Amino acid sequence: MDRQSLRERLLRVVGPDGVIDDPDELLVYEYDASDEVFAGHHRPDITVLPRTAEQVQEIVKLANEFGLPVTPRGAGTGLAGAALAVRGGILVVMTRMNRVLEINERDGYAVVEPGVINLELSQLTQPRGYFFAPDPASQRACTIGGNVANNSGGPHCLKYGVTSNHILGLEVVLPNGERIWTGGPAPESPGVDLTGVLVGSEGTLGIVTKVMVRLTRVPETVNVLLAAFPDLETASQATSSIIAAGILPAALEMMDQLTIQAVEAAFHAGYPQDAGAVLLIELDGLTEIVVEDAERVAALCHQYGAREVRVARTPRERELLWLGRKSAFGAMGRLSPNYYLVDTTVPRTRLPSTMRTVEELSREYRLRIANVFHAGDGNLHPLILFDRLRPGEVERVLRCTTDILQYCVDVGGTLSGEHGIGFEKRDAMTLIFTTEDLCAMAGLKRSFDPRELFNPEKIFPSGFSCAEVNAVRQQAIAQRLGIEFV
Amino acid sequence: MSEQALSRQALEHLATLGELHEPASYQVDGVVPRLAVAPPSVNALQEILRVASEAGLATVPWAGGTQMGLGNLPRAFDLALDLRRLNAIVQYEPDDLTVAVQAGCTVGELNARLGAHGQMLPLDCATPDRTTIGGLVATGLSGPRRYGYGALRDLLIGITVVLPSGQLSRGGGMVVKNVSGYDMMRLHYAALGSLGVIVQLNFKVIPKPRSERTVIAAYHGLAEASDAALRVRFSQLAPTAIVLIEGRAARAVGLEVPGWIAAVRCEGPQRAVERQADRIAEVVRPATTRLSILEGHSSQQLWSQVASEIGASPLVGAIRVRIGQNPSDLASLACEIKRACSGLAVEVVRWLDIGSGLGYATLCSPHEPDLRRAWERLARLGLHATLLSAPAAIKAGTDVFGREPAGLGVMRALKETFDPNGILNPGRFVGSL
Repeated sequence: MDRQSLRERLLRVVGPDGVIDDPDELLVYEYDASDEVFAGHHRPDITVLPRTAEQVQEIVKLANEFGLPVTPRGAGTGLAGAALAVRGGILVVMTRMNRVLEINERDGYAVVEPGVINLELSQLTQPRGYFFAPDPASQRACTIGGNVANNSGGPHCLKYGVTSNHILGLEVVLPNGERIWTGGPAPESPGVDLTGVLVGSEGTLGIVTKVMVRLTRVPETVNVLLAAFPDLETASQATSSIIAAGILPAALEMMDQLTIQAVEAAFHAGYPQDAGAVLLIELDGLTEIVVEDAERVAALCHQYGAREVRVARTPRERELLWLGRKSAFGAMGRLSPNYYLVDTTVPRTRLPSTMRTVEELSREYRLRIANVFHAGDGNLHPLILFDRLRPGEVERVLRCTTDILQYCVDVGGTLSGEHGIGFEKRDAMTLIFTTEDLCAMAGLKRSFDPRELFNPEKIFPSGFSCAEVNAVRQQAIAQRLGIEFV
Repeated sequence: MSEQALSRQALEHLATLGELHEPASYQVDGVVPRLAVAPPSVNALQEILRVASEAGLATVPWAGGTQMGLGNLPRAFDLALDLRRLNAIVQYEPDDLTVAVQAGCTVGELNARLGAHGQMLPLDCATPDRTTIGGLVATGLSGPRRYGYGALRDLLIGITVVLPSGQLSRGGGMVVKNVSGYDMMRLHYAALGSLGVIVQLNFKVIPKPRSERTVIAAYHGLAEASDAALRVRFSQLAPTAIVLIEGRAARAVGLEVPGWIAAVRCEGPQRAVERQADRIAEVVRPATTRLSILEGHSSQQLWSQVASEIGASPLVGAIRVRIGQNPSDLASLACEIKRACSGLAVEVVRWLDIGSGLGYATLCSPHEPDLRRAWERLARLGLHATLLSAPAAIKAGTDVFGREPAGLGVMRALKETFDPNGILNPGRFVGSL
């Protein structure tokens, strides 16, 4: 590669302040929010920060010309290492494309550039009576483009659905440099649902340059309940009973004792410190329904052993109850120098047994594990606390994580509920998918990106190749046709 | 493929793999296949597709046959693949609100099973005893209830597909939140079975509402009706469907008034539904010529009739068109539809799904050239237009999916990757893929 000539060509596209190739300055782009201990650090050859879709298009064309990998990146808050330039090449940072281009109140959508911060969009639309429903924990920092890449979730996707349910259309630069709009404000555009395929594809199929998002009407009434239980088991049973009663809360979050203690020490959110587990339940919608449901939920919580149920009705009270939940990850620093977050989903009814297993593994591996998670949709987040400087600890964390994943898969769960596969979990893909399944996914990838330049080394297991499956298939065909296979 | 290529040997082999049916009952746009076979198992289906791939048999997956009006004219049609024997409910977990079901299961059977546990898939389906769940996913036809519950694609959490090579391809799983691997559900949803034959679908299911009501409001004109519907849409009320029905069309759903009718559906716990219907009635009341509230069964009946009016079942002497447009622009779209039909000997009836942003028009005429001209004009309206069903003569030389969609290049690459021999529904999908 002629690095100098690439640099000059990129400079012409994005200007002098849009190209970074000084090793010291590149340092920050060697990492994302994944833990270096597990995902490593990877230096891109060059980082570019485009301001327009046309610039992105030119960058992709240059990458093709130079045969270099392209890794798209938003705010870098992803936990699975999807924004790491594992094979070097060009890192395309989208944070400067941060304009809100249109807010259409009448039809309930907005068009934004991918670098717009998740929370900022909701803050902007709130006074007009709308919000953007996906609300990942990192919403103060993460970008809408990153949400699209990871099909992000968040507490409120229990009722409102994940990012995929809120994306109406995308402007995307395809790996061949072509720029197209998929979808639009009206549903059912004919053809393959490219919007749906692109959401959650972790930057492996193209770079999104504009996003048309559905805006959700702010509900008439919101109630938040905090219920304190003696242990995780009773809290899990209460969770199941609420869902089984046909009540669909906006959010249903659980925190265990360790988390409560950390949160209280750091933020004084007023959680009952002696509780074995707390549920945070948000109900929203029409006033009549919310009031009625709140009573039913409180009764169910008491029935399953809740010692205390508090109801927050004012925005200020609600905020305080949510503060602890939203700051839980940050509070872990009070307990341990490092933590590793495992993101998996199990069928809701398997939560109690899964929590027991996590507890057993915690004892077996002599690692403290805090639990704070989206109980309503079975999406758990065991936080394994460790100290990377203590010999042997990192290996124990890895083995413990593998055991947790394996258990979740065994009970019908999956590898990741909302954080993605990225670089970090790619080798676990074989736990849930056969080689044939993965080959079909590779076919999808190849249809978009035949040169395999976009975000390489992600999603698919290391060293994965479909050659073997193809050979077996050819052999089968040859046998049937009576051809001698050489 | 040529007559000789379908050798006696291949025929005999296919006959061992599934039940042979009378080909004449599997017409697509008047074309009769040479063979119709119903595999009893996924394994048999895999083998059939391998044989079909090798022999280059043009294959059309078939189930209830209720939406066969959708699609371009087939380039060839050798083999009808009847999936109705693959109709098992594979796994139902009421406490997890998830279900895994084979593609050939009918909507009626599935909802009966779910209903016994107070759950449902919220579908708009006029013929639940014939329409299959696989057919609904392959055609992607979701009705007005999508406004409240999302389209069927939003409830789809897992999929199993047999590729033309005979390989199985699975995506997603049995959990409601999952970002492991590509979203293969979206790849096949509404792809008209052109990339693989869907054999199993996993869904998250919804607690069945304990009651429902529909507010019916009649107006002199479209403008008043549209204003009322948009006021509801813009409010914090949460109905599950909002449609506008042309007075003449309302006869078909058991109402008879001049002008336009707004129908707004509420579903949920009884008390909440009553209150919500009352509040909606207040919002839509200004300028009404008649206002009433349908309850329970009569409300259900209305929506089932609406579903049959906006489906893709083949019609004689008529075409059915669906046009996407911003909800707030649907009233103007309805006027444009009418203008496009002026000077032609066609009778037009319009339905507007204000909740979702889709306009539907049924055009009747004994003169096919007029129907054809009408479609050519309608195809240019709105954000996108689809000819849901039409006589074969009208489909010739046009793309029923309207204007060429952006990204057709990627769609073509997907087709070449997944179906390299072009045996699945050849010619019928967008761009004649």
